[in-house]
Amino acid sequence: MEPPKIWREKRQRYLGIGVKCLDCDYKAFPLTSFCPSCGSGNVQEYKLAEKGRIIQFTQVNQTSNDMMANVPYAIGIIELEDGIKVTGQIVDIDYSLIEIGMPVRMVLRVLSKDGTEGLIKYGFKFIPVD
Amino acid sequence: MSKVGIVSYGSYIPKYRIKTEEIAKVWEEDSKEIVNQLQVNSKSVPGPDEDVITMSVESARNAINRWGGNVKDIGAIYVGSESHPYAVKPTATFVAAALDAEESLTAADLEFACKAGTAGMQMCFGLAKSDMIEYGLAIGADSSQARPRDPLEYTAGAGSAAFLIGKKRVIAELEGTYSLTTDMPDFWRREGAIYPSHGNRFTGSPAYFKHVIEASKKLMEQLGSRPSDYKYVTFHQPNTKFPLSAARMLGFSKEQIDLSLVCKEIGNAYSASSMIGLANILNYSSPGDRIFVTSYGSGAGSDAFSFLVTDMIEEVKSYPLNVDYYVNRKKYIDYGVYVRFKGVLR
Repeated sequence: MEPPKIWREKRQRYLGIGVKCLDCDYKAFPLTSFCPSCGSGNVQEYKLAEKGRIIQFTQVNQTSNDMMANVPYAIGIIELEDGIKVTGQIVDIDYSLIEIGMPVRMVLRVLSKDGTEGLIKYGFKFIPVD
Repeated sequence: MSKVGIVSYGSYIPKYRIKTEEIAKVWEEDSKEIVNQLQVNSKSVPGPDEDVITMSVESARNAINRWGGNVKDIGAIYVGSESHPYAVKPTATFVAAALDAEESLTAADLEFACKAGTAGMQMCFGLAKSDMIEYGLAIGADSSQARPRDPLEYTAGAGSAAFLIGKKRVIAELEGTYSLTTDMPDFWRREGAIYPSHGNRFTGSPAYFKHVIEASKKLMEQLGSRPSDYKYVTFHQPNTKFPLSAARMLGFSKEQIDLSLVCKEIGNAYSASSMIGLANILNYSSPGDRIFVTSYGSGAGSDAFSFLVTDMIEEVKSYPLNVDYYVNRKKYIDYGVYVRFKGVLR
């Protein structure tokens, strides 16, 4: 796990920071230096909405070694309240109870661990809104 | 001159719980006797992707969202814990980044067994009172360790509480604080050791009770106050029996301490223990209420505080993600799942 990559991605992983195009108003995630819609470089940081709804989900049973401690886990596509769709793990709920349309909110969790001596990677996941 | 005090507060408790009887069943011990002794029905267990960093961030975000101010005005972040995920690399810097409070601030991790969080509160009170910072954030968080079959296994829980401290929009003014510190070999964990060790019954009278009782008495003596002057009181909660006994010894009633005793359902949240108790008290406080708090950290020391709740409490009390919310958000797990979540199998 490369320290520079973790450092570069921390704002999007910890805070859910994407971009908003100042020319066409398009919002995108993850962070990018140009607008994926109109190609303009006139973009600024934009904080994603913290709540949304599950629009699709599945269960992951095989993954990379640094994430095996959490297997099996649920991952879903979440449509946030600002209309942006992001992927993220859905935690603190049994897989059998997850439903399409279920309201969720962002929390910060451990994404992966590089063994017992390497870096721990943190980022947002989603939990059900009680 | 405006008084320094608590501006906002937040808490976090993991969703998972294991019942005392489930642990007792594994070791063929008498669960009724243990529950009767400790008065702890269950304890909180972090999920497999939770640690002191994630819990600190959640409680800090709850404190910030309850407050609604500008995070760039926070000049200090201190995180007290005995289970920081890194031996070298601060939890406090993660919290600063996850709050978007970087870069103009000081930050540090603290360790003093179960009272490192309240030590951080004292540091923030001092910095804010002397105008070195506008606001300081003090967090107590732990994902405490307990060797399987050790008596600690019944109570070693997890949780976090965060207090924003400053001089503006204060919800609870600091009336005074006093600390008692001695060198005490009651509980320890050596460098590199996975689990802590302790002095069994020695952790009671010369350790917990001496420090909690004497620190509390000394602060009330300095302030000229009496137990009957306070609406609520909370102490460190290694179990429910100890703080109840301390309250009785000092002359506080069961009614004064009852609200803070979250230990019954979440166990001992270590650095967060007395701070979660205080957070729950604030949820139910009214202007003019006085609150007394004394933490305890093995090794050993106690920090005692006296607060006066202000009118501003009404502005922040309705924030929904409070201690009650987290205590009631629960799922019981069996010992096998507990072993997996806690990483007992290595």
